Amino acid sequence: MPGSRSMRLVESALRCYPQRWRSRHGDEAAEIASLLIRDGTPAHSVAWSYLIGAARTRLVIEPRWQLGAAVGALLLAAGSLGVPLALSSSAPANAANVAHSRTARPRPADPRYGDSRPADPRYDGGRGGPNRCDRHGHC
Amino acid sequence: MAARERDDNGGQDVLRRAGDASVLILTSLADGSKHGYALIQDIKGFAGLQLGPGTLYGALDRLERMGLIEALPAEDRRQPYRITAAGVVALRAHLDSIERVSSVGRLRLGLGGI
Repeated sequence: MPGSRSMRLVESALRCYPQRWRSRHGDEAAEIASLLIRDGTPAHSVAWSYLIGAARTRLVIEPRWQLGAAVGALLLAAGSLGVPLALSSSAPANAANVAHSRTARPRPADPRYGDSRPADPRYDGGRGGPNRCDRHGHC
Repeated sequence: MAARERDDNGGQDVLRRAGDASVLILTSLADGSKHGYALIQDIKGFAGLQLGPGTLYGALDRLERMGLIEALPAEDRRQPYRITAAGVVALRAHLDSIERVSSVGRLRLGLGGI
């Protein structure tokens, strides 16, 4: 009989399956794991296989997990891109500002481009200070 | 491609996208009913690879949903499965498809057709 530590690992993985699956296959799955480990299959390999199987099962029979998985993947992607984790309540407004600055604002005055218009105070946040926008209109 | 055309025209190779594990399980069940551990051992014997138990159960559930296998009454903790008539038809169609590809591949490699 495999060690209790090995079986605890497998049982942890089996607990990731939905209850309905466990009530049907749980006992047999534990027995198969026990036999495979006895035959020399590493316990972590058996547990990993069940873990992946549990994730797939949940995606197939519990569609709401698909939404959760999608949200998780998006958060992971956002985190890897350096987006701050704490998406503040003003995030939509900020996003709108960015979109606006890239699409609707006219190019700021810049003598290098021969533009004689006066600098628009909106570009320095209304502080009246030096123009802080680049030549592409990004502030 | 001929195989593609057959599928588009209502061909019977429903296993084409079912995955290798499904084909191995149906092949194993073709000579009689088996439970999970027996399937793993049999597949290891004739195909030389050991299915992970998670992969096995995923494929068993999928095949059962497709009506290609059915569960028999459990014996103790073990749940035997057997291939259905639809499973036999699907396996035969898939093996025919593989055989066609195999013949073409062997011819093109200069190994001669089967």
